[in-house]
Amino acid sequence: MADFTVPSYVLLSPVEKKKGKVTQMLYVKDLHKSYRSGKNVYPVLKGVSFHVAQGEFVAVMGPSGSGKSTLLNCISCYIPFDEGTITLGGIKLSELSEHDLAKVRNEKLGFVFQDFMLLDGLTVRDNILVPRIIHGRVGQKAEELADRLLTLFSIDHIRDKYPSDISGGEKQRTAVARSLINMPLIILADEPTGNLDSKSSRAVIESFENARTTMNATVFMVTHDSFSASYCDRVILMKDGSVYRQLERKSDRKEFQDQLLDAIKEMSGDEK
Amino acid sequence: MTTIYDLERKLQRADRRQAGLYLFCNFIALMLISAYSALIMSPTVLTVLPEGGDSRKQMTAIFVLALFGCIVFTIYTASLFFRKKSRQLGVLMALGASRRRLAPGLFREVLSLSSLSALLGVAAGFPLVWLLWNAFSLMTESDEAALSIDPKCLFISLGFLLMVVLFSCATAWRYLRKTNIMDVVHEEHKNEPVKELGRWCGPVGLILILMGAFMGYNAESAYQALFSAYGPVWLNLLYLPALAGLYMVMLHAVVHGWFSRKRNPYRNIIARSMMKFQGKQTVNNMLVSAVLIAGAAFAAFYLPTLSASQIIDTGNRPYDYYFHYPEGAEAPGRQETEEMAEAGGVSIEDWTSGDYIILAMDGYAEVEGKNNSFDVEYRELLGSGKFISESSFERMTGIKAHVDRGEYLAICGDEGTGTYYLNSGSEKLTNMTTRGTADVKFKDYLGYSLLFSEAGFYIMDDRDYESIASGLSPQWMGHITMFNAGGEDSYSFARELYESLIAGMCPEYAYSTYYDPVAVISAEERGDESPDSRYFTVDYSQPDSSDFRMNWEYMPKFRIMDSSDYLRTFAVFLMTFLFISVICMVAALIIFHTRCQTIALNNRYVFDDLRRLGASPAFLSKEVKSQCRRVFTVPSVSGLAIMFLLYVMLQYANDGALTFSEIIALLICLGISCLTAAVIYLVYRATVKTVKRQLDIR
Repeated sequence: MADFTVPSYVLLSPVEKKKGKVTQMLYVKDLHKSYRSGKNVYPVLKGVSFHVAQGEFVAVMGPSGSGKSTLLNCISCYIPFDEGTITLGGIKLSELSEHDLAKVRNEKLGFVFQDFMLLDGLTVRDNILVPRIIHGRVGQKAEELADRLLTLFSIDHIRDKYPSDISGGEKQRTAVARSLINMPLIILADEPTGNLDSKSSRAVIESFENARTTMNATVFMVTHDSFSASYCDRVILMKDGSVYRQLERKSDRKEFQDQLLDAIKEMSGDEK
Repeated sequence: MTTIYDLERKLQRADRRQAGLYLFCNFIALMLISAYSALIMSPTVLTVLPEGGDSRKQMTAIFVLALFGCIVFTIYTASLFFRKKSRQLGVLMALGASRRRLAPGLFREVLSLSSLSALLGVAAGFPLVWLLWNAFSLMTESDEAALSIDPKCLFISLGFLLMVVLFSCATAWRYLRKTNIMDVVHEEHKNEPVKELGRWCGPVGLILILMGAFMGYNAESAYQALFSAYGPVWLNLLYLPALAGLYMVMLHAVVHGWFSRKRNPYRNIIARSMMKFQGKQTVNNMLVSAVLIAGAAFAAFYLPTLSASQIIDTGNRPYDYYFHYPEGAEAPGRQETEEMAEAGGVSIEDWTSGDYIILAMDGYAEVEGKNNSFDVEYRELLGSGKFISESSFERMTGIKAHVDRGEYLAICGDEGTGTYYLNSGSEKLTNMTTRGTADVKFKDYLGYSLLFSEAGFYIMDDRDYESIASGLSPQWMGHITMFNAGGEDSYSFARELYESLIAGMCPEYAYSTYYDPVAVISAEERGDESPDSRYFTVDYSQPDSSDFRMNWEYMPKFRIMDSSDYLRTFAVFLMTFLFISVICMVAALIIFHTRCQTIALNNRYVFDDLRRLGASPAFLSKEVKSQCRRVFTVPSVSGLAIMFLLYVMLQYANDGALTFSEIIALLICLGISCLTAAVIYLVYRATVKTVKRQLDIR
């Protein structure tokens, strides 16, 4: 992980503001991305800049079409971007070859998707081990870590079950466990509670909290859900492909959720 | 599970259903192509179906259609396999698996599946052709139907195998090359909407089909009339509008449907939208199936078309026995025949006989030049005609011919068929011995099937006959005999008479109806090269071969023998076309079945959503049926209807009318269409059942 001074135009976290010099995990600068449909070009990201510090839990919120998922897909290197820089743990992603990008995805990033993306033919435990298998041979240490993650996220009772046999919440907790198996620099989560009921949503968010406290994980989450976002240290609000505002959690969770709802209301009100 | 190899093995085991479908489809395609190529390259078939003949061309044309269908089908199967595989690939890529890491496993799986299925298909093709052929052979008992296979046919199968393997590897490579991982993940649910052309595309498609059929059929004759040259091969491209029309008909069926929805615009809206958004694949599949059904129908219709006129003609003959022989042959006379008949328990009745002479007829010949062009050239010795005197004809047939001096009549089939074989433009007849000539004029055709052959019979006035026959040497003369069997006819008598007729013939009479002695002399006199006599000879030692029975100039017409031996004589023709029909039909049915299965695979989530919205099993079942019905019905109806109409057109265009036997043949074709529709319906029912089971619709 690289230590370096953050340029002034980047939105700073409260911890960083105090220190001036921070341990930066993710740094996005002036990111642009457009989609093409025939002759039409639709700009989705219009110069997005922000960063996330190590151990931080950050959410991105915004209305549909604001560019949240596209932003996450660009950071994940799932889709190519047009302009800008994404730096992860000091590594500029745009300078990497296909092979090295895959290596980054495998070793430095952990992913949690809205529709879980578990492999149907594998058991819960096998699914957790997949990133490790892609990395190389699974040793005893990895198996022990998988077992610890099963216990940490309270899914050890379903370790030998297949995805089709478990609930949505259990699937997502499996996905969270999978995202941590390679001890990544950051977990990227795309609407992780989007398909879940409130009880399961709480369990998944708590599992992120758990990962942060026990494993010092950094979490970057895209969500629509103010309840889930209220667990975060910081929330970046996006609108029309740009960062609209960021909110820091200074008080307790409930109060922060109210703050978030007001800000969203304000953002929506602008549209009228 | 500790390595990526273990992981891939485990995932492959979990995907065995999808892999099984891919394996099955490739296997079937290769099996059908191997069986078909083994058949069309079999010496058994090539010996019987003459080179350059219509049957050979039709067999090859349907093979090309089947090949095209199987290629499209295997490409579709591979893309289907990869669409299902793409989610797995995408998840692994998303979790950091590089192309380099995924490629060996993916190629290993694809190569093993495609080559194994293809090899099994090739291996199964030969037992299939052997089994089907021998099953058909049980009905015919023909010696010449013993199937021999030319190993060279393996080249076609291996070429196809290579194509399957290469295409599957290329598709695997294409997926690995994709840079947008989210595209790979969501490939499975990617819609492929077809480009809509508006409600006009259906009617315009129908017009294009008719236009293509008309232009393709008439192109050759129009080209000849315009350019005095034989049409080039590319002229067949004029049939292409029919294919484009067929595509538009399928497109219309998928996008708009053929029935008006004005009264209930929401009818089948879900099924329609599902099909529309996977329209590209659906329309392509339906087009291929329609082409294959058309190929199956074409081959199946060939059988009644060939058989009906033969059977009706044999049944309607005015005499049970007819034969003609040259002057120099030792044919059994009346007494000898009666003795043979008595031994066979048959009495001879209505015995009648007459003479004929062979004269040269003049006319215009097409003389082939360079670059397929031809010139029309007058020839005094154009070809031969067998002439009977008016009185002799009346004595033998009881029909008054009404022909005046200087006129002649041409004998065609009973219903006016086969006139295109006869010379209706001759103005000068030549005695080939004395070279004396007589001016004549064609009067009319006269229908009498027993005396109709491709080397035609003609009738002339008695005085003209006497005059021109004067001085003619015996090699240009012949005799005709006809009689009936009293009581029950005997096959053994007919057989003995047939064998004694052959025994009485000299080797020089072992020639086919296509051999024209006048044309040969004429060519020699002009200094032209004579045609190779090998093409015109028949073999006396194979009196039961189809070649001998169909082509020998002096082949007798014995009702009992022709009826009993019909299947044996035409066995190879019938079996070949029956086989082709079965192959094309099986291929089409498998495409139908597979396409419907993909409805279940691709739209499972839609059906789950509908269930969540409260759709009852009956509603879901209706949606499944609605889609499957369209996949089955539109190509089946189009393929069968197009072929039926084509046959009506061909039968009509032959001689500008539909004869009784042609109408009977068309009615049988209609019956075959109904039978085919019934088979398709049964497969449809079974398919709907499978799809419903896959979607858990009880």
